[in-house]
Amino acid sequence: MNDVYDAVVIGGGIAGTAAGYYLAKARLRVLLLEKSFLASGSTGRCIGGIRQQFSTPTTIQTMKESVRLFSTMHEELGVDVEWKNSGYLFLAHSEEQAKLYRKNISLQKQFGLDVEFISAEACKCIVPLLETDDLIGGAWGPSDGQANPFLVVHAYVKNIRQLGGEVRTGEEVIGIRVVKGKARSVRTASGNVYHAPMILNAAGAWAKEVGAMAGVRLFVEPERHEALVTEGVEYLGVPMLVDYRPDGGYFVQRVTGQFIGCFTPKEKVAGHDHESTLEFLADMSRRMVRLMPALYDVAVLRQWAGSYCMTPDGIPMIGKTDVNGYYCIVGLCGHGFMLGPALGKYVAQFMTESTWPGPVDEFACSRSFGEKEKMA
Amino acid sequence: MEENKKDTIVCRCWDITLDEVEEAVDQGIDDPEELKRILHVGMGPCQGRTCGKIVNRILSEKMKKPVSQIGSTKLRPPLVSLPIREILGLTDE
Repeated sequence: MNDVYDAVVIGGGIAGTAAGYYLAKARLRVLLLEKSFLASGSTGRCIGGIRQQFSTPTTIQTMKESVRLFSTMHEELGVDVEWKNSGYLFLAHSEEQAKLYRKNISLQKQFGLDVEFISAEACKCIVPLLETDDLIGGAWGPSDGQANPFLVVHAYVKNIRQLGGEVRTGEEVIGIRVVKGKARSVRTASGNVYHAPMILNAAGAWAKEVGAMAGVRLFVEPERHEALVTEGVEYLGVPMLVDYRPDGGYFVQRVTGQFIGCFTPKEKVAGHDHESTLEFLADMSRRMVRLMPALYDVAVLRQWAGSYCMTPDGIPMIGKTDVNGYYCIVGLCGHGFMLGPALGKYVAQFMTESTWPGPVDEFACSRSFGEKEKMA
Repeated sequence: MEENKKDTIVCRCWDITLDEVEEAVDQGIDDPEELKRILHVGMGPCQGRTCGKIVNRILSEKMKKPVSQIGSTKLRPPLVSLPIREILGLTDE
């Protein structure tokens, strides 16, 4: 009866490994299955930014908890995950943008966030190399930060194993058996069958396919986003600079001295497409030097692409589904790495104790998407 | 001998030693793609041109498999490190 577990987690990215860790910590016998290698999907392709500056109470509070977990991860997991509270600076180049940031800040302050709207001169003090022409000011959150996605995933996996859980890579789930409305087991491409009363879909970009295996229709779709990273230069503590203009982007200096960044594509590229484009390389380069001309002489080392797993309303889906014992932590909409530790912890508690440790009603899998749902 | 391993640089871009690579492999990080992500080998300015073959040979020896079965890491554009000034010069012409 070696193949019977308390919980099977599908997906070796941030969501699955964080949830797997908290399930194992609750003394469940956990099996985590990853079809490729750890962090091979969206988690390992993200740029590692972590922010609490959001515009809804649920996300602000969830991210406050995630930042707490990131900042204590070294002690909790015994691995230095390169967490650094290097901050996020949202740049306002118009009065309209400044007004929006001020509105968000008043909400964020209600939840105790240390955020301020600062002048262009103050932005320049934080980032001396910043180009401040046309800049009105910025929303500055010094307690936001960054961490290394690969190291975080490996830290969770190391701890899952230490707690007696199992993590298998190269083991792709291809079927989920549901009997009388209850999830029973998963089947893998290598022919193994693993039984568990609880199965968690943490399959990121492949969440829809993994949902369909249990007959659960999930309204999530992958979208391609591209990113690039430069060579390492002297670490100047440049925070994540966010430029929301139509031709803007966002980038941060990693603790390695490298600049890493991306922008939201104008036209959506749906599906599992991970091609890199020359257009992105040129556009991103142009957008970076516009904000920081000193980057002209820094070399780009590599570019890649990954998927955002999007929901119709742009917020995550976690919790139970119509199939008993089949849970989800999916559709993290490009914020998976930063939300993962808190939401993984939350979903694990929900699976083991049927209670939510934080306010996540608006993230419920069971919410309706109206027209979108009817069309699908 | 162990001392030598601590002084033997495998990845010159990030100063990763033979000792560090072997320790990671011993911990089960035995796929070139995972080693790359955890240790940064192959992620520096050389993009694996110097260290890639060395890492594969270490993996081959440790895992007692021929190098041909070790696999390689994904190549990413722009393939050579390019200063942004050149990227913009090249693409704006």
